[in-house]
Amino acid sequence: MSTSANAYNAGIMAKSGKDFADEYFAEDNQVVHESDTVVLVLKKSDELNTVVEEILLGSDKANNPTLVVEDRAGFWWLKANGKIEIDCREVSELLGKKYSVYDLLVDVSSTIGRAYTLDETFTITSELMGLDVKLKDLETA
Amino acid sequence: MAISSATKAATDALAVNRAPVSVGAQEVHKWMQSFTWDFDKNRTKYSTKYKMANDTKEQFKLIAKEYARMESVKDERQFGSLQDVLTRVDAANRVHPKWNESMKVISNFLEVGEYNAIAATGMLWDSASAPEQKNGYLGQVMDEIRHTNQCGYINYYFAKQGQDAAGHNDARRTRAIGPLWKGMKRVFSDGFISGDAVECSINLQLVGEACFTNPLIVAVTEWASANGDEMTPTVFLSIETDELRHMANGYQTIVSIANDEAASKYLNTDLNNAFWTQQKYFTPVLGMMFEYGSHFKVEPWVKTWNRWVYEDWGGIWIGRLGKYGVESPASLRDAKKDAYWAHHDLFLIAYAMWPTGFFRLTLPTAEEAEWYEANYPGWYDMYGKVYEEWRARGCEDPNSGFLPLQWFAENNHPIYIDRVSQVPFCPSYCKGASTLRVLEFNGKKHSFSDPWGERMWLSEPERYECQNIFEQYEGRELSEVIAEGHGVRSDGFTLIAQPHTSKDGKLWTLDDIKKIGCVFADPLKAL
Repeated sequence: MSTSANAYNAGIMAKSGKDFADEYFAEDNQVVHESDTVVLVLKKSDELNTVVEEILLGSDKANNPTLVVEDRAGFWWLKANGKIEIDCREVSELLGKKYSVYDLLVDVSSTIGRAYTLDETFTITSELMGLDVKLKDLETA
Repeated sequence: MAISSATKAATDALAVNRAPVSVGAQEVHKWMQSFTWDFDKNRTKYSTKYKMANDTKEQFKLIAKEYARMESVKDERQFGSLQDVLTRVDAANRVHPKWNESMKVISNFLEVGEYNAIAATGMLWDSASAPEQKNGYLGQVMDEIRHTNQCGYINYYFAKQGQDAAGHNDARRTRAIGPLWKGMKRVFSDGFISGDAVECSINLQLVGEACFTNPLIVAVTEWASANGDEMTPTVFLSIETDELRHMANGYQTIVSIANDEAASKYLNTDLNNAFWTQQKYFTPVLGMMFEYGSHFKVEPWVKTWNRWVYEDWGGIWIGRLGKYGVESPASLRDAKKDAYWAHHDLFLIAYAMWPTGFFRLTLPTAEEAEWYEANYPGWYDMYGKVYEEWRARGCEDPNSGFLPLQWFAENNHPIYIDRVSQVPFCPSYCKGASTLRVLEFNGKKHSFSDPWGERMWLSEPERYECQNIFEQYEGRELSEVIAEGHGVRSDGFTLIAQPHTSKDGKLWTLDDIKKIGCVFADPLKAL
């Protein structure tokens, strides 16, 4: 089981019974607390299993040490600080077939954070896109 | 001859950006979005007090061609799985009988929400003036049609392939008598399609979808899998692949009004009202379905709620918007109390009123009682003892002559219906955030379970005139009402609802109910 602060059962979620209740009902926890994390839910599929195992937990792992990936039966649950990015050109190379960002969206089930596409990259970020940061259009020659 | 404004807009756009030479989706999207029309005469069913900016973006840059291709692949995968391997392995008969009953409620109710979301996003299309924002809403209209069909299909699949079809098929016919229906219509219908358009977006997209679809459509698949159901993950996770665009639409609705003066005046109140409206129903009903409608438990519902609602939606969506003046919902404290206790309160009432439902309920076993007490200290003294008494009095047996509803009357614990949420509550026997308040208006009494709904009612009481079942059927005998409300199976006398899921247990009929002599009474008349 992961010991990361981003794990599915991290922090209060590791507690049970009265210990859980005490923290859950603590005065400090009666308002929301801003979080810089993002959550991604990926439906399990041939392509997404490869994305998770070969890229996010493989070649890209060093780029995002805060990323946690957990197997939740029908889906992969991911949480990281800041952002998670998937470059579909890299996925295409790995799968040996054309795989666009819209092919990826077939199996991206849920997002908590600001998710967007630009060219062949899918990004989910904690940044406030459209407020703090402008959403870009594709730049063409 | 003067050219039309649309032709002029197209000509102007082409002068700035020449038509794309490739068919790259995002290049086409960029070009397409430079078309602008004059929306001064926008007509919407309900206007909005906010001014939506006309330069709002759409985060996924979808064009119709990519949308259609993407959705057809989703459907091929989903229906392929259902009709091939899941049918071949007889998946519908591997589902635990308790969970089979939960899916009668979850999928039938979600279907209603999806259907109303079609109208809601159509209204938002009318309200917005930014082409990209309109494009996002339009995609959502089409998604919601797909989801309505998907929810209908999963109940059809369960009914055709699985066990105990009654309730999976034609659940809507019990809508007049089932105490959960009207509350569901409040969150899934009224909250999405009636009133200020931006307020409807906050209800549907920022709270309903960005917050509650995660437990309702994602976390539910963990419970389904744990209880032998592989159909629900196949369909629901596919539904959720569209929800991320809906969450983005909700966020962009907020972006589009962020600089409007009205936002500083009204946004926090609208957000709090929407949060309370949605949580008031989803929190107890989902908790009840997950915990009491399963045999194998994944985790306590309060933990699911704490993760998806409090920590992630609260922190990542609402918390991040703090610097733009968005505040933690004022009702959060009560919502958290509800997330811990309200589903236990609701199950007590739901089980007591079981004959009016379209699904079967089961009392917790001794093993489950231990699980509840370990996870919710104090559960046994409040609820566990009552279930033991009901079981000892034979509540599952049609020959016992005992309905748990009688226990509430014997112990002077009247059940009321909250006028705003339409959720039943028993103020003298509950641990959630419910307390009784009664107000009179136009010669009629109204009961409320909390100050948040009461405040919404005070600002527009004419909105909440729906009769509850105690008012509608006052003085009527229960079996008569069940027969009139189509609560029986195809034999015409066995109830759809039952107080057990045992294959060997006897099924209750209208005659069994009739001999008890239970008559509806409006508790407000006694005050």
